[in-house]
Amino acid sequence: MAWVYLVIASFGEIFGVIFISLYVRKKTVGRLLLLILSFAGGFFFLSLAMQEIPLGTAYAIWTGLGAVGAVLVGILFFQESAGWKRLLFLSFIIAGAVGLKILE
Amino acid sequence: MAWLYVLGAAIVEVFWVIGLKYSDSVLDWLGTMIAIIFSFYFIIKACETLPTGTVYAVFTGSGASVIVLLDFLVFGEEFAIGKFLLLVLIITGVVGIKITTDDKETAARRRQEDGGY
Repeated sequence: MAWVYLVIASFGEIFGVIFISLYVRKKTVGRLLLLILSFAGGFFFLSLAMQEIPLGTAYAIWTGLGAVGAVLVGILFFQESAGWKRLLFLSFIIAGAVGLKILE
Repeated sequence: MAWLYVLGAAIVEVFWVIGLKYSDSVLDWLGTMIAIIFSFYFIIKACETLPTGTVYAVFTGSGASVIVLLDFLVFGEEFAIGKFLLLVLIITGVVGIKITTDDKETAARRRQEDGGY
């Protein structure tokens, strides 16, 4: 079950990023609330997942899935660039962050 | 300016990550909450100009880097070559994405193409 919680936690992050994108386009209270609820939900499920999955592993997977998801959602729904330079440098950053969390 | 917001968000993040770990009084928790609010405020400000995917990745990578540097500089953790190489990888990525992102083009294009949301 902990792995399901971890996936839900990552989606909390991805939806949080979607609502950031929506909120900066039109600043409504509803969008802000959805943004807060998504991230808060993500943290809640991350803490549930961490009761069974080792901290470093859980944190690394959550970070990686969340960041990759945020990039993909940006490209698919918000006209963000899919140029090779952007994807290359983003993969450096995400791989580095995931690696650091695993080692911690 | 937008990049400074990302940096600000990453630096403030370090405070709330430490806060979540060590808070044991109402005041500590209050400070942690304020740090979380500030770090998300900075992220939202940055996303007004820069692509959200970029902001989120740079924020995550910088935050992880600052925490590792703090462990090494302040908490006296041993220097590990693996961590150092990952830091170099993140810094290369952040500098690369900063150089190749055209802030003005992004904002202008967004205004032009985004009718629907």
